[in-house]
Amino acid sequence: MVETATPEVRPGKIQESEEKPQSGLEPGYLVVCWNDPVNYMAYVTHVFQTVFGWARKKAEFHMLQVHEQGKSVLTRESMEKAEHYVHQLQKYSLHATMERDE
Amino acid sequence: MKLLQSSKESLVFHLGQREKDILLAVLKRYPCIPSAHQPLSKSGKLPHPEANQRLLDEALAENRAGNKRQLRTFLADPRRLAENETGFRLSLSPSDLEWLLQILNDIRVGSWIILGSPEEKAEASLLNEKTAPHFWAMEMSGLFQMHLLEAMEGGRET
Repeated sequence: MVETATPEVRPGKIQESEEKPQSGLEPGYLVVCWNDPVNYMAYVTHVFQTVFGWARKKAEFHMLQVHEQGKSVLTRESMEKAEHYVHQLQKYSLHATMERDE
Repeated sequence: MKLLQSSKESLVFHLGQREKDILLAVLKRYPCIPSAHQPLSKSGKLPHPEANQRLLDEALAENRAGNKRQLRTFLADPRRLAENETGFRLSLSPSDLEWLLQILNDIRVGSWIILGSPEEKAEASLLNEKTAPHFWAMEMSGLFQMHLLEAMEGGRET
């Protein structure tokens, strides 16, 4: 990811997106954004805010996680919702995929 | 490219003649990302992976066709870039801005893919007569993106 500015928030442990599926429930799918050296940090933050409706702080948290750790799990959803989010992120040309939460 | 006015309904920018020419030349390169380029999953552990991948490719192709239509209308409308004494006024609604960001980023990322997806440090070694237009498109689309993002910053809830 191309650096534009250094936000104050730093990455840490993500609580909500690391929940494990409970038996008997529909399998979950993780929406993952992967790092690349072309998308600007400010742009990635903007896309996260737009697609997920997140506040800037949360969007920056995940953007920094992508930048520093190579990827960030953005959310865990049903198959249909995960597909929807991947489509939205790819419309903005972000490197996003969905992976089964095992 | 300077922000002149900002409201909930629209953002108005001033562009000089050269900036306007560059913006139009960049936009005419859309689309740059190859079709069916993005995988739906890295692991491939999804039900009906091929069918789901096809659905995603079709949805993105549909989106791209819509963007191309909208871009043709945009470029053909003289009111979009209205000339005044000092240059041009570009007026964009919030939905226009989102759309234009997607277009510009497709050109930026697509140009980078055409260049072989180089790491930042390796870019200089790839610069030659053949690759220069793609580097130019990548940098110029990124520059306009940053202007738009900076202008939007003020109106964003944080």
